[in-house]
Order: sequence, then C-alpha cells, then structure tokens
Amino acid sequence: MPSTFTALADPHRRAMLGLMLERPRAVGELVERLGLSQPGTSKHLRVLREAGLVSDRRDGTRRLYRVAPQGVAELRAYFDGFWDDVLSGFKEKIEGGAS
Amino acid sequence: MTTQAQIDAIQKSVTVQATLERAFQTFTDEIATWWPTATHSYGGDETETAVFEGKEGGRLYERQRDGTEADWGEVVAWDPPHRFVLEWKICPSEVEVRFSYESDGVTRVDLEHRGWERAGEGAEAMRENYSGGWDVVLGKYVAELVS
Repeated sequence: MPSTFTALADPHRRAMLGLMLERPRAVGELVERLGLSQPGTSKHLRVLREAGLVSDRRDGTRRLYRVAPQGVAELRAYFDGFWDDVLSGFKEKIEGGAS
Repeated sequence: MTTQAQIDAIQKSVTVQATLERAFQTFTDEIATWWPTATHSYGGDETETAVFEGKEGGRLYERQRDGTEADWGEVVAWDPPHRFVLEWKICPSEVEVRFSYESDGVTRVDLEHRGWERAGEGAEAMRENYSGGWDVVLGKYVAELVS
C-alpha cells in the first residue's frame, strides 16, 4: 500500500486531489482537466485510493471519486512538512547566502 | 448525518536575521534564489525557476526548462513589507505570510495555511480532530531551528 507521502509526491495526483476537494469527479472529467491519458489517470486514481486518500462510489452509470475522510488531514499533513522545508530554505538563504 | 471536522490552519513561524524590508523582498521578489524547486515544485528537476509577481492579482508560479508554467498561487492581498495573502492553487486553500519587527535587524515571519474546512465540502463525513501530527512536526522544527 503506497504511503500518503508517496501518493502526494506526484504533482498530477496532487492536482487531482485538488479537483476532488472542490467536488466529487468522474474519471472522464479528471482525464480532461489534467490532460493525461485515461489509463494514466486511472493509474493515479488507484494510487490515491490505495493510499486511502480517495474513495469512489457508483452514481448511476458512472463512478464518482471524492476525497476520503482522512484525505484532507493527510493533505494538510503533507503541506505541514512542505512549509517546514520552504521556510528553512528561506532562512538559510537570507542568513547564509550572498546578498 | 454528516458533520465537518474542525481542521486547524497550519501555522509556522521563523525568525530571521534580516530587516523587515529585506525579509519581505527576499521572500517575494527574490524567491528564485531560495525556493527548493527540485523537491518542491511540479516539475522537480525540470523546474528552472519560481516567479513571484509582487502585486495584487500577481501569480506565484514555476517555470520549467521547456517553458511550461505551473501556478502555485495568486496574490489576493499585497501589503509590502508587512504581509501578503495567496489563494493557493495546489489545493483550494489560502496562505498568508506576515513579516513583523522583532528587534533591530531581526524579523519574524509567520505563515498560515488555512481553509481546510472548505475541503470538507468535497469529502465525505469527517469526525477527525487532527492535532497530534502537527505537534510532532513542530517539535522537530523547533529542534532544527535551535540546533
């Protein structure tokens, strides 16, 4: 099972998660918005699902994907570490780098 | 019945040996000189630079070697050298960065990444109270800063 960080490390997957945070999406819509192939998009969805970040359900004839309950917390956790890295890079530059 | 969880904003703070103006300028105008693009961008190793357009409505984005641009945020509040707010594009949320005078030549930079409750609209019912993980991260962060 892929870890959350592995799942979030890919920018396309982060973009997909962003779209799903707005509202549940069908695969076709994700394919169109991201400009990836259908198999490529499905593969990313599978990684996100296996990491527990998204869940899906049938809506009539199509399948809708949405962020899983713990998905938002995981996304937040990702950015928590992200900002640590960014701010330490900033501090290092402003205090150590040549101006 | 579904309820939205309370998800607290991410809050970070770092103190730097620099004047207010220098801190603000370095963070924004000179972002290309310090943002870790290899690990913190869509393009990774293909990312050439980060660009911060310092004005209301300005874009914060990366430009990759082949010319591709990918947005990170849009400036929705611009108040140099004290603060700016970005609409964060990577996931629907908001990032505010404030610069405050701490003492002569020392500036405190506070960053808040908020709006996670908005995400509840796209997600299923949540009843989590997320707090434990941040304490661990903060502990590591403080240890790192004082080391």
